[in-house]
Amino acid sequence: MSVLPKMISFIIRRLIITIPTILVVITLTWGLIRLAPGNFYSGEKPIPKQIENNIREKYGLNKPWYVQYGKMMGHVVRLDFGNSLKYEGQSVNTIIAHSLPVSASIGISAYLLALLVGVALGSIAALKQNSKWDYASMTLAMLGISIPNFVLGPILVLVFSLTLYWFPPARWYGFPSRGVVLPVLTLSAIYMAYIARLTRAGMLEVLRSDYVRTARSKGLSERQVVIRHALRGGLMPVVSFTGPALAFLLTGTVVVERLFALPGLGNYFIQASLNRDEPLIIGIVAFIAITLLLMNLLVDIAYGYLDPRIRY
Amino acid sequence: MNNETLIIPGDVVAGSSLWKDAWRRLLKNRLAVFGMVVVLLVAVASILGPSIIKRTTGYAPDYIPRDAKLIRSFPPFKGPDGSFSWLHPMGTDNQGRDMLARVLQGGQISLMVGIIATIVSLLIGVAYGAVAGYLGGRLDNLMMRFVDILYSLPYIILVIVLLAMFRRNTPTGQLVLLFVALGSVSWLTMARIVRGQVLSLKNQEFVLAARATGVSTPRIIFRHIVPNTLGPVIVYATLTIPTVMLTEAFLSYLGFGVQPPLASWGSLATEGIQNIGIFPWQLIFPGVTMALTLFSLNFLGDGLRDALDPQMRKL
Repeated sequence: MSVLPKMISFIIRRLIITIPTILVVITLTWGLIRLAPGNFYSGEKPIPKQIENNIREKYGLNKPWYVQYGKMMGHVVRLDFGNSLKYEGQSVNTIIAHSLPVSASIGISAYLLALLVGVALGSIAALKQNSKWDYASMTLAMLGISIPNFVLGPILVLVFSLTLYWFPPARWYGFPSRGVVLPVLTLSAIYMAYIARLTRAGMLEVLRSDYVRTARSKGLSERQVVIRHALRGGLMPVVSFTGPALAFLLTGTVVVERLFALPGLGNYFIQASLNRDEPLIIGIVAFIAITLLLMNLLVDIAYGYLDPRIRY
Repeated sequence: MNNETLIIPGDVVAGSSLWKDAWRRLLKNRLAVFGMVVVLLVAVASILGPSIIKRTTGYAPDYIPRDAKLIRSFPPFKGPDGSFSWLHPMGTDNQGRDMLARVLQGGQISLMVGIIATIVSLLIGVAYGAVAGYLGGRLDNLMMRFVDILYSLPYIILVIVLLAMFRRNTPTGQLVLLFVALGSVSWLTMARIVRGQVLSLKNQEFVLAARATGVSTPRIIFRHIVPNTLGPVIVYATLTIPTVMLTEAFLSYLGFGVQPPLASWGSLATEGIQNIGIFPWQLIFPGVTMALTLFSLNFLGDGLRDALDPQMRKL
């Protein structure tokens, strides 16, 4: 029996569920935008009827809803989301292409930092269970979960920018630069906390398992047991956390980008929602949904490689 | 650990001792007791505090002093003449309002949002999970597939779009919208947990007995099965409250949460961020109060889980 055909059929089955899910997300978003009272052009002052008619004509808003829906879906299927209503003359794709590197570089560095520190903290806590190391790192992790990032960020700014003058308090200076240190720290705190807790729980379970006992009884050194055997099994929960973590990363970057005034996807998304900039909202939502679901698929495949007991 | 699972079925006396056992285990967990005490203190202070402060100092949470000299942000424990004073232990905000009274009133709103949204998620999640688990078969498959799909949605994005589009001008309208938005996204895990419990319960003798004596299906689900899932449900509900409060704070930070004149810890902290360099106490007090409360709720939830369900501890 070979694994590959099974893997392919697994991927195909997952894609069959994934694609409708993406379409549902987009339809829901579009429906919410359309059901809500008001319009992107409506402001404080009412505009003359003739002008309103012209605007509706120009953007195709006078057509029946299914024509508009079809047009929107056509954009989505071609992955070309048209022009932003607010940032005139800029296509949604250009905006995404410019803001994605900002969000991605901050998000990926934060996640890597969190992995490094979180796995270390969690392993120490598990290996020295019920010691003061354990309590200290778990209290630290609980603090990371309990302090909202928009409180943590300004406090870091207060200490490291406004008092010590080590890092700039805001703005995008490119990556890597001093300017990304505080956003990355702020963003990574909560993942660090979750990863530390997951690593501890996973390691505790694995350390009691039969195969670790076998490894020990073979006479391997404690270091080899931990690094070669326990860590690999103990990190499974961390791997499966990657999916939810990506979703978290999204909400986290929204806050961090606003706090530090970074021109990332999250910031554009909030602006677009407030401006009712339909093409930009749909574009960003579609982009995020596709990325998230594909990453989840990758995580599941990686899971199978790491844990030979799992079959598709 | 094992003798408990042996005692549970049916026996009324053994049932009550399960709760007593759990309570004893909870009291042994120092962090959980600490969490419980802090949560109770914060809750009582939030409910009674504002009116006590109003009575003793005259500062209602929204009271802006008449005297123009008092309309500025004083540091904690500082009177208008710069000397030590007990009048404002947390200082005042830009309008000269008492921060302590505001933080306590914010606590009322934050806790209320957390609790009501959790109740909404409880009602939906328990009913949904119990029905799916008990009826089983195709319906179960369909209902759980639906949950899976909702799970994979970037729901926070949808919540933001929902709140941005349907933003209410009245504070109560916005509050109701928040309950709906937060409650409707946090029931998924609850549904899964309840379903899992129901699956293991539905073939036990007491359910068979109820069925044999002709009890109707809805009655079996809600009178016989659901009460037996309470342990994990309580644990998970305790852990949902801080999550929901954190999400509310996040939405308030983005401007989609509680609208003035109402204030939550999240919206107070957000106001404070603007003045972080000059008046740091405007951020630090609401922020630290919220963090402390969430911290305590999380420890309490963890402790409850260890106490009520020793099996789950290893997860």
